[in-house]
Amino acid sequence: MAPSSRPLSPHLSIYRFTLTMTMSIVHRATGIALYGGTLLLVLWLVAAAVGGGFFDFVTWLFGMWLGQLVLFGYTWVLFHHMFGGIRHFVWDTAKAMDANGRELAVRIQLGASILVTLIVWAIFVWFK
Amino acid sequence: MSVLGKPTRAQIQNPATRYGKAKASTRHFITQRITGAINIVFSIFIIWFVVSLASRAPAEMIELARNPFVAIGLALLVINVSIHMRNGMRDTVEDYFDKGEHGWAMLANNLFVGFFFVVALGAIAKLVFWG
Repeated sequence: MAPSSRPLSPHLSIYRFTLTMTMSIVHRATGIALYGGTLLLVLWLVAAAVGGGFFDFVTWLFGMWLGQLVLFGYTWVLFHHMFGGIRHFVWDTAKAMDANGRELAVRIQLGASILVTLIVWAIFVWFK
Repeated sequence: MSVLGKPTRAQIQNPATRYGKAKASTRHFITQRITGAINIVFSIFIIWFVVSLASRAPAEMIELARNPFVAIGLALLVINVSIHMRNGMRDTVEDYFDKGEHGWAMLANNLFVGFFFVVALGAIAKLVFWG
């Protein structure tokens, strides 16, 4: 059973926004986006299993501009959450926890997630 | 000391106060680390699977998904992701709901993850075994 006697988190509005706490919120937000986004994977797999006109429709849906925009955003969200997890693995070893180290860690995370997303889409989609 | 009910102001102010269940929380922490580390591999796998199929014919996706290595990879991904997403949502739920609300929120979490787990694995099994 989950413990229920912990104090709740204070509302977001009482915090001062620093880079690391903003990225902490973004880590949770991307996690929730990935959570909800599993429905896209379910839709795709079910459509493939059912086949026929429904699969053609879902293929068209993911291939049209709005579907592509969602998939592009989803790629960044997944990479950002992944690099955020790696940042936590670094912090688990108590490294990069000073003011400069932690700021650098989140800057590297943001830069890497954007760069890798662009590289993947450039190689597999835009200039294939 | 450990508190059972809603913590009082004095308990929150005392840094020696311990909340929740130590063993369950440690297991939660380690589980999230292990599934997260495995998910590094699965993240690269799923992005390769989705993006490399962009603008391909629907039949090519089915052909690729029926490849034994890809199908087993997808199934293991669904299992690992289910554990990681349920754990992660529990962290969020614990921050904003307590007592009765916590139970309802975790029920919704379990139903959502259960739906993903069953339907995704079912669809993969259908693709592999019945075409």
